[in-house]
Amino acid sequence: MSLPLHVADLRLRSPRGRLLLDLPALSATPGALIGIRGASGAGKTTLLYALAGLLDRAEGSVRWGDTELLSLGSEGRARFRARNIGMIFQDFMLFEELGALDNASLTALFRPRSERPALRARARARLEALGLTDAERRVTSFSGGERQRVAIARAMAAEAPVLLADEPTASLDRANADRLIDDLVALVRTQGTTLIAVSHDPALLDRMDRVLTIEGGALAADEVPACA
Amino acid sequence: MRLIWDTLPALAQDIALLIVLLLPALLTGVLVLRGYAPWPLLRGFFGRFRWSAALFVLLIAISTGMGIGLLAQERGLRRGTAQAADKFDLIVAAPGSELTALFASVFLQPSDMGLVSGAAYAEIAGHEQVSIAAPLAFGDSYGAAPVVGTTAEFLRHLSEGQIEGRLWQDHAEAVVGALVALETGARFTPAHGVGDAADPEAHGGGHADEEGEDHDEGDHGEESHDHDHGGTITVVGRMAPTGTPWDRAILIPVEFVWEVHGLANGHAPDREAQIGPPFDPEYFPGTPAVVIRAQELWANYALRSEFTRDGETMAFFPGAVLSGLYRVMGDVRQAMSLMALVTQGLVAASVLTGLFILTRLFRRQIALLRALGAPRRFVFATVWAFSAVLLLAGSLLGLGVGWGAAEVLSRIVSARTDIAISALPGWTELHLLAGFVTLAMLLSLLPAAVVLRQPVVDGLRS
Repeated sequence: MSLPLHVADLRLRSPRGRLLLDLPALSATPGALIGIRGASGAGKTTLLYALAGLLDRAEGSVRWGDTELLSLGSEGRARFRARNIGMIFQDFMLFEELGALDNASLTALFRPRSERPALRARARARLEALGLTDAERRVTSFSGGERQRVAIARAMAAEAPVLLADEPTASLDRANADRLIDDLVALVRTQGTTLIAVSHDPALLDRMDRVLTIEGGALAADEVPACA
Repeated sequence: MRLIWDTLPALAQDIALLIVLLLPALLTGVLVLRGYAPWPLLRGFFGRFRWSAALFVLLIAISTGMGIGLLAQERGLRRGTAQAADKFDLIVAAPGSELTALFASVFLQPSDMGLVSGAAYAEIAGHEQVSIAAPLAFGDSYGAAPVVGTTAEFLRHLSEGQIEGRLWQDHAEAVVGALVALETGARFTPAHGVGDAADPEAHGGGHADEEGEDHDEGDHGEESHDHDHGGTITVVGRMAPTGTPWDRAILIPVEFVWEVHGLANGHAPDREAQIGPPFDPEYFPGTPAVVIRAQELWANYALRSEFTRDGETMAFFPGAVLSGLYRVMGDVRQAMSLMALVTQGLVAASVLTGLFILTRLFRRQIALLRALGAPRRFVFATVWAFSAVLLLAGSLLGLGVGWGAAEVLSRIVSARTDIAISALPGWTELHLLAGFVTLAMLLSLLPAAVVLRQPVVDGLRS
């Protein structure tokens, strides 16, 4: 399933009325790899959350395929995310007391019973594809790079066509970050997944098809990286 | 409906009530968790917040356990005291307080009482409906054991004939209660008085001789007797345990008590070696209480009426006096039950507050679930199940704590009163616990609902 993105007049204001995000237009084709950069507080993560439908006060239009995300209620947006959007966070956000497979197949817990075995099998396959063969091991014993791989496996186990990543390499050392970027990019390219990644990491941004620069909540630049 | 309920056996009623009390919690659980099995996630939550969770379980266990233990203990005490009075159908004493006479006769508590005269006793003993009329003579002791003078037939009645050794055949022989630390063959001299007020020298000694050697100390006071035994008594038998304060008593012929106090021994001089009834009214020095067993149950009522006489005697049923006491205790019990309920309510409120705080701890995990697309009902079910597991674990542990508390309290009370108390938690406590579980589980729907109101982004950034 491919989901083109069309954003129009996306705005978000703080409770005091300050404009936090102002994006007149943005489009992305299915399978595109898009990087978002900008200074701290520029609104990168806010944009990512808006694209995921996590912001209740966002105005305008965020359309994924035929679905106008902002017209849905919070439950409808959650249902849409469960099927279509995988998410990766800077600090992994795993359940430390659980094993890698339990973490990677977490979304199976709230899927219909008939879909659970398949999702769990895919989670195991994604873990193996990312080099994690000991799926039962508790994630507390994993390195930072391994934990982020578990998070990627979790995001991709549902075969969502869109992957939103917030600083996926920020908690990793250079060597681990490079390996993770290789694996992540290879995986999304293979699956045809749209990847939108907020990052300060030039090594990751260089692998993207496009890089957006956000300043003061607005789009300052939309570029193709030199080495893309 | 009421008629059907009343026809059910007590056990069926108890089980039905338990089910009815638990049903709302069960139905809530089924409805909330329908279609979901968030157990791996719960494992994660419990692993992460293990100490907070353990503290909660402990708080619930201790508070519910104390309530259960106290209620069970109160019931056990009532049963124990009722059982202790079981062998005392009717007591006749000099006019005064029935409660004092009851405590003195049944529970062997030291007290000052008037005396029933020889004439009154003769009238009681001679009544055609009286099968046993046993005088009880208190006031002496040996160590912590009260020494009670009575008759052999009362001893047989009290012990149901289960005596190791033999009954007394001489004035200076004793049968000891099951818990008295004197072996058969041991000899001792009782002290006058009980407890701190006891005078060991009054009857010529106050010590025991396990070897059974002769002693010649002490005299019997103003009157002399042919069978002078120097105030020393030999243990010849031991009663089987009765679960009453009489297990720590030393029973001797009432004649001996009178003799050592320098009084006539209940028999005319030409028959003064006799043991037990009939007694001669002229030589009967008086007795604080007479325990009566009637030929027929109905006759007890007639005897009570007959021997309730102004200024002479009072007759009462120990069971009836205890019932009056239980009525007072019943108010206390109701107060205790109310306190237990209020306590459970407060605990439920504390647990609820605690759960609100605890759910704040996994705010981030909840936000993650929502970000990954978890439906609200799944998040709600997970948080509620977390609370439910804590409550169930705490309540089950509370049952164990209550059991233990009741057992410890029983031992303490038994040691202090010598009344055998069995205070295992019963249906009342199970119903209380079931009510608490249901109430708490329904209340814990609130924090589960409140969690859903937390903004996802705030949780992710927390």
